[in-house]
Amino acid sequence: MRSTVPWLRPLVALVVGGVFFIPLYIALINVFKESRQVASGAMSLPIPPTFDNLIRVLTSPDSLFWSSLRTSVLVTSLSIVILTLLSAMLGHYLARQNTWWSRVIMVLLLCGLMIPPQVILIPITQVLKALGLMSTLQGLVLFNVGYYVPFGVFVFSGFMKGVPRELEEAAAIDGATRWQTFWKIVFPLLRPATASVLIFLGVWIWNDFLNPLIIYGPREGTTIMTGIYKSLGQYAADFGGMFALMFLATLPILVFYLLLQKQFVKGLTGGATKG
Amino acid sequence: MAAGTTIHHHKSGHAQARARRRRSGGKRAGLWHFLSFAAPGTLIYFCLVVLPITLSFGYSLTDQALLRPKTHFVGLRNYELLLRDDTFLQSLRVTTILTLIVVIVPNVLGVAIAVLLDRRGWLYNALRSVFFTPMVISSVVISVIWTRILADDGPINQALRALGVSEPPGWLSDPDIALYSLSSIVCWQMLGFCVVVYLAGLQGVPQELAEAAAIDGAGPVRRFWSVTWPLLAPALTINTVVLLISAFKIFDHVKVITNGGPGTGTTASVALVILNEGFVENRTGYASAEAVVMLIVIALLCVITLRVLQRREVQL
Repeated sequence: MRSTVPWLRPLVALVVGGVFFIPLYIALINVFKESRQVASGAMSLPIPPTFDNLIRVLTSPDSLFWSSLRTSVLVTSLSIVILTLLSAMLGHYLARQNTWWSRVIMVLLLCGLMIPPQVILIPITQVLKALGLMSTLQGLVLFNVGYYVPFGVFVFSGFMKGVPRELEEAAAIDGATRWQTFWKIVFPLLRPATASVLIFLGVWIWNDFLNPLIIYGPREGTTIMTGIYKSLGQYAADFGGMFALMFLATLPILVFYLLLQKQFVKGLTGGATKG
Repeated sequence: MAAGTTIHHHKSGHAQARARRRRSGGKRAGLWHFLSFAAPGTLIYFCLVVLPITLSFGYSLTDQALLRPKTHFVGLRNYELLLRDDTFLQSLRVTTILTLIVVIVPNVLGVAIAVLLDRRGWLYNALRSVFFTPMVISSVVISVIWTRILADDGPINQALRALGVSEPPGWLSDPDIALYSLSSIVCWQMLGFCVVVYLAGLQGVPQELAEAAAIDGAGPVRRFWSVTWPLLAPALTINTVVLLISAFKIFDHVKVITNGGPGTGTTASVALVILNEGFVENRTGYASAEAVVMLIVIALLCVITLRVLQRREVQL
């Protein structure tokens, strides 16, 4: 079954991966090039590298990067923490209860997994206006929680199937309340599920463009991705600055992803062997 | 409340838990359990998803608009107008073409690359990460990068000119090509997802099956089609449904790269048209009718795809 040409597979894989990577390579080297270098040879390495682009973005007088970074960090972290707690509880409840209305809630949540935001954005702005939360950070967080709760519940309730019911019953016999049992015994066991919920929702919410654009609105500032969109005109002639801004906007979520990924992979295999 | 039924529905063999529940006050405890564990998430979901969807259906039957002082019930008139609305029909055509490309291309390339990378070692691990990276990057960033690369004087056209092509194509400025360029960008971004899902699927294919087939004299191509591919059916289902939903609701790439142009609506997706109608033209009633149509189409496509593809899935 072995291939007769052992170097063929790694070579083809390397070439295919290399071609696929070219756009990211171009984006990355442009961060460290002066704008006039960018306009000429796009593929050449940035020698000598310049950090002017990064410095220019970090010290720009409108502090667009810093203010939108603050907004994005706030929105993303608040959203994913609330989402994790609420969907873990709801997922646990729905996985353990077997009544007709818990099944109805489950079906409604599963339908929510495929609903595109565009379909509900118009009424959502009116609901948020009625609550006095339109164009506020709280409004955007509330929307994120409502919109992504089906995903969280889906992951947590699926994972609950691998957590033995006897564990909770034993805790109950020992006199623990439901609240204590869940947070002290069940929730720690759900760590792999928590990691995947945090990763997926963190990436989606950080990278989200449409919802902050409509819900958060221009008055109160922008998240980092809507910030990039709005400064496209400003950076039209400054490719280096544009790529530097995008690099800085992507870095936090990439680091977050890489940090949690190990936890996530570990958790997946751990859960699988536990059966 | 249904706390009493909760207890009866519980499968037998949980006598102690049942006893505890009764001790702690039966119905009241069940209600408290619901309020503390399920109510917060459910309430927010109902206010921000279930209620808005219901409202969308309601709005779609009215002539609601920002500048109109009074809103009237107009029945199905918005839907009748939709059937004759060239902008909307054009956007359906655009979205259908884009969806077809985005469902087929990453699936085909994804399975090929997954088979290629299905080996152990640092090289294959690193390449796996390379393919997945675009999935972690915002579509806004991806869109800006590709806008630059595919610009009329961008790197690709510079390279083509250097190779002697005097008039390289306007990848994003030519109305006949722009939609295909746009679709390719989305394919590039989604490819990593398909690769990862197919790789996970390949892990589940027992080595013995392929070896048995090899002993029976099946070549690599035959082994793939008769053994591996049928066992990848669940991966195909996941990829197809995810690609279908992502492609049909495409907005970010269109907004950033072409904003519906060049020309009139050559790349305007349904989502872009709905949001323009709702938030630029402020005709919220009409936009809601478009949104309802979009929702129904997505739901139908998902149900049909799931039906067809899940039938193929075999149990080992």
